[in-house]
Amino acid sequence: MLKRHFLKTVVGTALLLGTALSAHAADDALARIKAAGVLKVGTETAFAPFDFIDAGEHVGLNVDFFAELGKDLGVKIEWVALPWDSVLPSLEAGKYDIVAGPATITKARLERFKMTSPIAEATVAIMKKAGDTSITKPEDIAGKAVGVGKATAQLEQLKEYSATLPKKVDIHEYVSFNDSYADLAAGRVVAVANSLPNIAFVAKQRNGAFEVVTPGFGKKTYFGFIGKKDDDSKTLVDYVNEETIKMKKDGRLGKLQEKWFGTKFDTPDAITDPAF
Amino acid sequence: MTIKLFTLLMQAALYTLGISIVSIVIGFAIAILLSAAMLSGKGIYIAPARLFISFFRGVPLLVQLLLIYTLLPVIGINVPSIVAAIIGLSLCTAAYQAENLRGGFDAVPKGLVEAADVTGFNPRQTFFRIRVPIALRLTFPALVNEAIMILKSSSLVSVVGIIELTKMAQDLSSSTYLPIPIFASAGAIYLVINWAIALVAGRVERSLPKVTA
Amino acid sequence: MIFDPTVILDKLPEIGSGLLVTLVLWIVGIVGGVVAGFVVASARRFGGMAINGVLGLVVEVLRGTPFLIQVFLLYYGGPFVGLMLDPIPCGLIGLTVYAAAYYSEVFRAGFAAVPPGHVEAAECLGMTRLQTIRRIQIPEMALIVLPPSVNLAVILLKESAVLSVITVPELTTVVSAIGSQQYAFLEAIFVLAVTYWVIVEATDRLGRLAERRLSRLRFSKA
Repeated sequence: MLKRHFLKTVVGTALLLGTALSAHAADDALARIKAAGVLKVGTETAFAPFDFIDAGEHVGLNVDFFAELGKDLGVKIEWVALPWDSVLPSLEAGKYDIVAGPATITKARLERFKMTSPIAEATVAIMKKAGDTSITKPEDIAGKAVGVGKATAQLEQLKEYSATLPKKVDIHEYVSFNDSYADLAAGRVVAVANSLPNIAFVAKQRNGAFEVVTPGFGKKTYFGFIGKKDDDSKTLVDYVNEETIKMKKDGRLGKLQEKWFGTKFDTPDAITDPAF
Repeated sequence: MTIKLFTLLMQAALYTLGISIVSIVIGFAIAILLSAAMLSGKGIYIAPARLFISFFRGVPLLVQLLLIYTLLPVIGINVPSIVAAIIGLSLCTAAYQAENLRGGFDAVPKGLVEAADVTGFNPRQTFFRIRVPIALRLTFPALVNEAIMILKSSSLVSVVGIIELTKMAQDLSSSTYLPIPIFASAGAIYLVINWAIALVAGRVERSLPKVTA
Repeated sequence: MIFDPTVILDKLPEIGSGLLVTLVLWIVGIVGGVVAGFVVASARRFGGMAINGVLGLVVEVLRGTPFLIQVFLLYYGGPFVGLMLDPIPCGLIGLTVYAAAYYSEVFRAGFAAVPPGHVEAAECLGMTRLQTIRRIQIPEMALIVLPPSVNLAVILLKESAVLSVITVPELTTVVSAIGSQQYAFLEAIFVLAVTYWVIVEATDRLGRLAERRLSRLRFSKA
């Protein structure tokens, strides 16, 4: 009996405390993050050069970017790495505050999420095995096996492009783009469709094995980070926007782009009406 | 394969081992509860226990993990990756361990249980002092097998954001383009751990008192 | 969040094709695994020490490592040694080999459970070794190996979901892809859980039914 009573008291106190705490807690995402001292960022670590694992270490433009942001905001960054197809659902489930990714800013995504100010160009192009003379321009992939990441905007663009070709593209969807690169090397696909900054980086890293086919085939698009659309998250997304524009103005973003892409991108401050 | 890569794999293997051990222990406790429910003879306990076992045996772990990770927050329980992984593995192994234990409980000699009742043991005492130890002794080899199964199943917890041995191997494979040596090494690490488990379990089993059903 | 599985169910034809791939992989995996497993178990029992040792090691390796690692090795490692398999054949081979390792152990236990007296009696009656296996050992084994075989079948169905990582267009792949296209991730997981659960339950029931039938046919008790 005594035990049960004790339990009741503990549970009761905890509940009371919980209500009291949440009543006093700041009532928007940014204030809560500041109070907790931690910004939780979800991402996929198979998207070089934004997020990838280099010899066991999580590195990339996102890691550098959020480190800067964390410094400015005075919080620590906590990373959560998932397969890409569960990254956005887990954002909605509240597993973290924002998604790094980044993701292509598209019409469909803007309906569902809030996307931050662009950090790089995302236009899609084709990467092939070096020396493959059967593919010299994007339309040469008609009727051929092409790899792309699951649940990505690149996939949607490839589908749309495929429909315009005389013969449909044989699209292979991979859990991550890394897997599609492995299959390009193995020869199960003859090309991979991904955004220019990504494949330019991979082609350089795998010195000589892969080659980017220019120009790209997709519409001109941009990469941004992804936040929730509700009012609660507004302050956070606004803050990331301001930070991005600030870093662009003071040259930090340009330096990061130089570091990871080997080139600087001209990005608009906001995308309200994406081409795709 | 360099020493550095192998060290990274070994570090990730510690995660694999830690998560598996914790899950086996929690799963065992739940399995005992489930067995108690199944043996209670009361429908209100048996039905949920049966449903639990059926569900966690019937759904792939991959799906269970995603359910726990993304569905729980909908009902207000938001758990971090490591907790989701442990919950998923624990519930899954609990269902299998309960199934194993059932065989053991069935084999506990009726006479012993009756004797305990006659001697004045209450049902709880009979359960924990007579039935559980004997059932456990009888199903010990199955428990060891299940431990090995869970160790292997832990290769799936990367879907909820844990970087354990398999995920590390995957990451290293895509950054070094050396799938064969890396996956083979990861496989070898699993194998060594499993052999060690089997070896220790064999020792333990020999030291346990013999029970014949 | 609105929970609405109909967004997924609208795509029934696609789900059906995924389910079909899963079922084919599963059944071929089981049949292949049972046949190969029986061959391996027989070879280990009757083939001499060396064969027993080598096969035993292979079985240990297959049973001691995660299926996911085996699949990765076969799919991504294969091309490096000239073994280039498409996702479905790769999945089929992977699942069958994995199944064979486990089934061989089931049969080994089955062989061991047949009383030596029965085998000796058969030999005394002048049966050849093959006849003894076919007429005495297999029928007696059937009842012993049935429950673990059904259990294994269930495990294999669930392992087949792992093949989504090498782009095999099976149930998990198809449904989760629909889920992310429709922003119906939870609904997709829910549909997956229910579908697998139903197949497993049906398998279990079928197994129990078969067990009852077989035990009625049993002619002698060991």
